[in-house]
Amino acid sequence: MASAALPSVGRSEVLSLLRSFLRTTRKFEDYNVREYSKRRTIDAFRQNKDLSPPSAVSAAFSDGESQLEVARRQATVYSLYAPKVKSIMEI
Amino acid sequence: MASKLLSTALRRRSSPLLRSFSTAAAAVAHDSSEPSGISIKGVKIAGRPLYLDMQATSPVDPRVLDAMLPYYLSQFGNPHSRTHLYGWESDAAVELARSQVASLINASPKEIVFTSGATESNNISVKGVMHFYKEKKRHVITTQTEHKCVLDSCRHLQQEGFDVTYLPVNSDGIIDLDTFRSAIRPDTGLVSVMTVNNEIGVIQPMEEIGRICRERNIPFHTDAAQAVGKIPIDVEKMNVSLMSISAHKIYGPKGVGALYMRRRPRIRVEPQMSGGGQERGIRSGTVPTPLVVGMGAACEVAKKEMEYDEKRICKLQERLLSGIRARLDGVVVNGSEERRYAGNLNLSFAYVEGESLLMGLKEVAVSSGSACTSASLEPSYVLRALGVDEDMAHTSIRFGIGRFTTEEEVDRAVELTVRQVEKLREMSPLYEMVKEGIDIKNIQWSQH
Repeated sequence: MASAALPSVGRSEVLSLLRSFLRTTRKFEDYNVREYSKRRTIDAFRQNKDLSPPSAVSAAFSDGESQLEVARRQATVYSLYAPKVKSIMEI
Repeated sequence: MASKLLSTALRRRSSPLLRSFSTAAAAVAHDSSEPSGISIKGVKIAGRPLYLDMQATSPVDPRVLDAMLPYYLSQFGNPHSRTHLYGWESDAAVELARSQVASLINASPKEIVFTSGATESNNISVKGVMHFYKEKKRHVITTQTEHKCVLDSCRHLQQEGFDVTYLPVNSDGIIDLDTFRSAIRPDTGLVSVMTVNNEIGVIQPMEEIGRICRERNIPFHTDAAQAVGKIPIDVEKMNVSLMSISAHKIYGPKGVGALYMRRRPRIRVEPQMSGGGQERGIRSGTVPTPLVVGMGAACEVAKKEMEYDEKRICKLQERLLSGIRARLDGVVVNGSEERRYAGNLNLSFAYVEGESLLMGLKEVAVSSGSACTSASLEPSYVLRALGVDEDMAHTSIRFGIGRFTTEEEVDRAVELTVRQVEKLREMSPLYEMVKEGIDIKNIQWSQH
């Protein structure tokens, strides 16, 4: 019922979600979290590339949207408390 | 190219406004305003070290922090307050977290008790079970490679008059099942074997031990702090009666853990904390809602990410080990290479002194021995139980790889370790003798 009410998720929505994710994860101040979130996002989208029933696709899409909200909030929190000296991997 | 011409043209103008954008001014500002790196305990490093000590603790996952923050901000109620919204929403959060922890280990939420960490869970299990059954059961079986809190609890029981058998381990760190079987007595009240060792990372044969305990009807406790969320754990398959879980080993907050207590057949313990009867009387005290919510979130994330993390960590471990082995000889992996958790790699470097190796590795956060015992100077008791020579035990380094470790970090760790080991070996007269073919163990040192 809920999935019938949602518009069917097309390629452009998915790509726009991926682009928002990558823009957000670039803002993480912590080297490890930034690399992890970038890598995990790409791998998750790649893994779900061939999901076929539209209900599964829209479920994955809404899961992605809520994860994007988490990432947005946490990018702000991490930047508020960024350490003064960066990780040795970034120097 | 064009930008370089432009910037040199601008710099020639040298107006103070443009000066602020030139790199020369930036360099001057850097030296005066910002400390270049960190200087602490007499050590100077350019930046924060790369973290390869995941067995000591792990960083909090951003998803976990996101779940915890509301309970520090507006939803701060005590979950035991029954009369208002603050209490109800806190209680709902605690129960949700309980079900998240339970589903990770295939248990029922009613079997999970929240504690302050795996140390407290271990104490409740070992001391609590034996005190409850102290009339009939006077014997405990554990291993020599357990965590210090289990060994210390057993020592405490010994002082009270109980008997404890500390099972030896083979040189690969795994207990021998026949030795275990023959150690069982009619009055054995508890068997405690940790699932994944925190120092060497070996995985004990839990299902076989569980089967033996079920046959002889003995409660089986396991300290699964290093195992939960990393390898698949099923309390039904392992036949455990009690399991200790720690949140900060699975990217959760520090200060919270859980104890799984089987309901069928029911295991009873004598509580260590007296109070208002929270957590079914097993552990009184206000349940710390934000920490518990964090632990639940960490368990849920671990369940979703277990397969992905495991594949990645295996690849990283291979990269680390083959990177080091390609450039160094005399590298020994402590503990079984087959039955181990991939994220824990304990290596000994022959002909190198441990303290100096660690002092030279300040840009990599690793540990030698376990965090609990690195304050003392004696070599780790776990390595001694494996039968490792004193000199090799002193030079052991534990690399901990986790969810957030990157390939570049592994490569940098390999580079730094190899460089430091080569530097130390070059200075070592023992290594020179070994290269000339002299057998060190059979030297007759002359007295002066």
